[in-house]
Amino acid sequence: MASLVTCPHCGARPKEEFTVKGAALTRPAPDASQETWFDYVYLRDNPRGAYQEYWHHTSGCRRWLVVNRDTATHEIFETRDAARKVTA
Amino acid sequence: MTPYRLSSGGLVDRSKPLSFSFDGKEMQGFEGDSLASALLANGRLLVGRSFKYHRRRGILTAGAAEPNALMTIGEGGRTEPNTRATVQELYQGLTAQSQNRWPSLDVDVGALNSLLSPFLGAGFYYKTFMWPAALWEKLYEPFIRRAAGLGRATYEADPDGYEKSWAHCDLLVVGAGATGLAAALAAGRAGARVIVADEQSQAGGGLLSETATIDGKAAHAFAAETLAELAALPNVTLLPRTTVFGWYDGNVFGAVERVQKHVGIPAAHLPVERLWRIVAKEALLATGAEERPLVFGGNDVPGVMMAGAMRTYLNRYGVAPGRQVAIFTTNDTGYALAADLEAAGIPAAVIIDSRSRPAPSGYNGRTRIISDAVVSDASGGKALSGITVRTRNGSETIKVDALAMSGGFNPVINLACHRGGKPQWSDEKATFLAPSGLKGLSLAGAAAGIDGLAACLEDGAAKGTALAESLGYGSTQPSFGAVTGEIAPAPAKPLWTIKGVRGKAFIDYQNDVHRKDLGLAVQEGYGHVELAKRYTTNGMATDQGKLSNVNAIALLAEARGVSPAEVGTTTFRPFYTPVSFGALTGTSHGHHFQPVRKSPLHNWAKKNGAVFVETGLWYRSSWFPRAGETGWRESVDREVKNARKNAGLCDVSMLGKIEITGADAAEFLNRVYSNAFLKLPVGKARYGLMLREDGHIYDDGTTSRLAEDRYFMTTTTAYAAGVMNHLEFCAQALWPDLDVRLASVTDQWAQMAIVGPKARAILERIVDADLSNEAFPFLGAAEISLFDGAVHGRLFRISFSGELAYELAVPAGYGESVADAIMEAGREDGIQPYGVEALAVLRIEKGHVTHNEINGTVVPGDLGFGRMVSSAKPDFIGKHMLAREGLNAPERPQLVGVVPLDPAKSFKTGSHILAKDAAATLENDQGYVTSSCYSPHIHSTIGLALVRRGSSRHGEEVMIWNGLRDEFTPGRLCDPVFFDPANEKLHV
Amino acid sequence: MSKYRVTLRPALDGKQPIQRNGVSLEARPEGTLLHLLAPPSTNELPCFSEYAANLSLRPVSPGQWFAVGDTALPHADLQALASSLKSEADIVDQSHGRIRILVRGPMAMRVLAKGTAVDLAIFPVGHSATTLIGHITAHVTRIDEDAFELIVLRGFAESLWDELVQMSLEFS
Repeated sequence: MASLVTCPHCGARPKEEFTVKGAALTRPAPDASQETWFDYVYLRDNPRGAYQEYWHHTSGCRRWLVVNRDTATHEIFETRDAARKVTA
Repeated sequence: MTPYRLSSGGLVDRSKPLSFSFDGKEMQGFEGDSLASALLANGRLLVGRSFKYHRRRGILTAGAAEPNALMTIGEGGRTEPNTRATVQELYQGLTAQSQNRWPSLDVDVGALNSLLSPFLGAGFYYKTFMWPAALWEKLYEPFIRRAAGLGRATYEADPDGYEKSWAHCDLLVVGAGATGLAAALAAGRAGARVIVADEQSQAGGGLLSETATIDGKAAHAFAAETLAELAALPNVTLLPRTTVFGWYDGNVFGAVERVQKHVGIPAAHLPVERLWRIVAKEALLATGAEERPLVFGGNDVPGVMMAGAMRTYLNRYGVAPGRQVAIFTTNDTGYALAADLEAAGIPAAVIIDSRSRPAPSGYNGRTRIISDAVVSDASGGKALSGITVRTRNGSETIKVDALAMSGGFNPVINLACHRGGKPQWSDEKATFLAPSGLKGLSLAGAAAGIDGLAACLEDGAAKGTALAESLGYGSTQPSFGAVTGEIAPAPAKPLWTIKGVRGKAFIDYQNDVHRKDLGLAVQEGYGHVELAKRYTTNGMATDQGKLSNVNAIALLAEARGVSPAEVGTTTFRPFYTPVSFGALTGTSHGHHFQPVRKSPLHNWAKKNGAVFVETGLWYRSSWFPRAGETGWRESVDREVKNARKNAGLCDVSMLGKIEITGADAAEFLNRVYSNAFLKLPVGKARYGLMLREDGHIYDDGTTSRLAEDRYFMTTTTAYAAGVMNHLEFCAQALWPDLDVRLASVTDQWAQMAIVGPKARAILERIVDADLSNEAFPFLGAAEISLFDGAVHGRLFRISFSGELAYELAVPAGYGESVADAIMEAGREDGIQPYGVEALAVLRIEKGHVTHNEINGTVVPGDLGFGRMVSSAKPDFIGKHMLAREGLNAPERPQLVGVVPLDPAKSFKTGSHILAKDAAATLENDQGYVTSSCYSPHIHSTIGLALVRRGSSRHGEEVMIWNGLRDEFTPGRLCDPVFFDPANEKLHV
Repeated sequence: MSKYRVTLRPALDGKQPIQRNGVSLEARPEGTLLHLLAPPSTNELPCFSEYAANLSLRPVSPGQWFAVGDTALPHADLQALASSLKSEADIVDQSHGRIRILVRGPMAMRVLAKGTAVDLAIFPVGHSATTLIGHITAHVTRIDEDAFELIVLRGFAESLWDELVQMSLEFS
């Protein structure tokens, strides 16, 4: 029926305005090992609990966001612009 | 005797009679009646047949939980089955039909099922699956389907409108009874944005059935007064006839407003139902409590009713339940009913109280009270005739025509449990309460387990005030004066198992689950609450166990010898009550089913006679038939031949178009394409291949450099949106340090392909620039003007057809006019419009790929694009996986052409390729045909295919196998370029 | 002069304004609509009004604006504006790619709430947002206390118009 995602630029919006891409991973350096690249492309955690994902506010500001949400409760802890670097 | 209308009393308007029909019989009610109250007022006790045993059933409740009185309302396209008569407002001309009976309600053949009841008990469905499978189709399924006979939906289209709307508030109050009104008033006066949703037409809830007074005023008058004050507050929105059915993430509540379900012919400009999505900072559930039935034999005989419902029919609708009324209660509410009956001049015959020393405060009536007693059985056929009362000292049979029952109250906490919270058992209240610690939602009044009108008013006011304050509104808590004359329900001492029962004692009326079924479930190992639900079907169907769940859990607990807390509940999910598909669909049907995306050349295509095809949301021209042509193929063949002989014009506006600017635009393109883009000169277009990070091809298209830091990219139509999202991802998430700016300009430009040997000559008549091969060679790209500077556009010399070809982009509003001009300029050269069918033939003849070939499984090498993967670039999307063994395996499918050996034979896209003499098996599958068409130049069907090692097998004979039609066509693999392999026509 | 006569066909050609009780719909002229692209960290375009005082600036996204005007900007003027603004933002002409629809009246908010989840009651005059209206993405600006201007992709303009007609039916 409904669910809201708070875009850091636009405020709370229904999930229909967004496109979800999946785990927010850091792209390896071009010279990283094949193994690192393989992990980046294919391997995903599947946690119960907090999970960081890339979401795109497709029908809004068209910014890519990192959404930190709980996979079990759907609670969203934080959203930020994907261009904003954070120290993990 | 049967129920009847009193000559006075109640809130119905006796000066406004309404006629309606039930099973074809004309009846009369009054404005303010529900269908149920009107049926009772007409003496109608029997209103339905039960689901499984086809037992006679009467009206049990006066509200949303009604399990029995389900009817089909309306006629034709407005037919609505399974409507609860208790919530259906009466209107002039209403037609209601009973359900689940044949040939009639009074004489129902299905009632024979009762005789089969030993076979239809708990686990019936489970066990059926274990009987001989051969009998399923002929015996069990038809039987079950016929038995599972709630109402039937109509096959006619619904003529009425539905819509959806969003709403926002600080505080959503669900329920406008005493608690809800008090809370709304407190928060409303404080200035908070409040929405009050109530499922009834008239706000007031229990106040409308109450005979106590508040500050000297009748309870219903207090409700009306409070409502008037709320209605006058600009910050308060009242949603009557609105059921809040679900609590969702983000504190969004789903609600359905029955805008016109109370009128015979709805006004056309209004929807009949409106689906609300209410975003609330806080919500307060003032949803009250549901009275619990008692589980004695024959507790479903028409004439047995919930005590609170009987009180509602008496006080709100002026309907007497009968002449000899018995009340079976475990708490004080039964006495409130007794007092009201006495006041109405129909004193109750007897009160049977399960408590040993009942002491109802405020009751001074004269009704006979039998304490420490139970009703073990009720008897009667179409109507109740008597009850058996058991005490420690023996039993007594009493003749009655109505029996009220009250087993205590279950707070209505459904919404509070929709987001995963589990109900909490309270020993003190002997029922389940809402989970604690909920965010954004709280409960007040009876929904929070609070008893009594005065306490509910105070709790509502206090919580409304506190919530308003927490939201930043200062306020003072309203007070409401004294409540007098109330007999408040003292907490019930629960009575789960009644001893001495002889007849069927129903727990779930709607599913015909009776007490023995639960015992059987436990006995057979299905005692877990989730298993018992499925084994017995208790709590399923339209009422979702509103009346039955707590009784079922307590009886399971007793059977298992544990506490109800240990048994727990099944999961509460939306919807609280059934919601129509119409409401969920809203306006999204017919013309409004989905948006239509129209090309700026739509009108041009239309006036040139195009046949349109939907591709995604776009309407594209398929072909342009001419008089005398007998089929689409004839038109397409003509368009194809003409494009190669003279000239053709095709609308390609729906290609994705993206403008890319910024100081790092070149570097950006170099990273998103697998081939090199850094050195693309200004004024040039280049074909580009975009990969996914896993090395497979994502999309292709051309990108032209219009200025040092400005590029114009085209994508395929299908992936236009996806590519834009992907580029934004790369720019924002992967490489935010690059200065690159993206704008989708798909809709800005009308784009047309002008194709064929005469294309240049035609364009030269309208384009101001020099178009000679020297000035504007293949892959040229330029901003140009047309018509002596009247219009500014862009011209690209690119070709999907293999012909001398251009793509001309002009501002969309000029598109039709420019296309008209081109047709006029090219008339003597024989220009013709062509559609996507001809476009496909032209590209297949040239071996050009689309997403038929770029199907998500191919890497550049598979399509012969190996040279488009730059080895010099340190990084681009997809580079790092390309070296993987599997993506370089020699056995990979590769792009190849395929033709039938006999040109008179054809084959279909999707057909599989087998080695010449191989059997048609999965193991022998070598690949499949990705695209095919009839080529009027090759004079036969031609195809592109992805075939194992295909590029080294040109000339090999194969078998083309269509497994769906079991067709075999001998064929030959060949070069995928069927036409002008040297590209001589391209460069002229 | 060229012998060909070029004319402009508006996307909402033939859609007459709709006047209902408390709300009206009107296709706005297809004048000028420029997409201004600056780095996402850009908060304002201080020079813009100096060069294009007749265009109103509406935020689209971090570093992006629409500049909107009722009359078409001649090609040469657009080129000039682009080079004047070059240090601040790139200009992409979307004058034909985006269509404006005005929804005006005390019921405008009620009509739009049928499509968008944006809380328009607390949406200040002059504020803009991009949002879904039903199934169609649109850019919304509150241009007056009771007036909202929608900007939609040209290809969807007819569909959005039809949706708005349906959404305002209640007030007929």
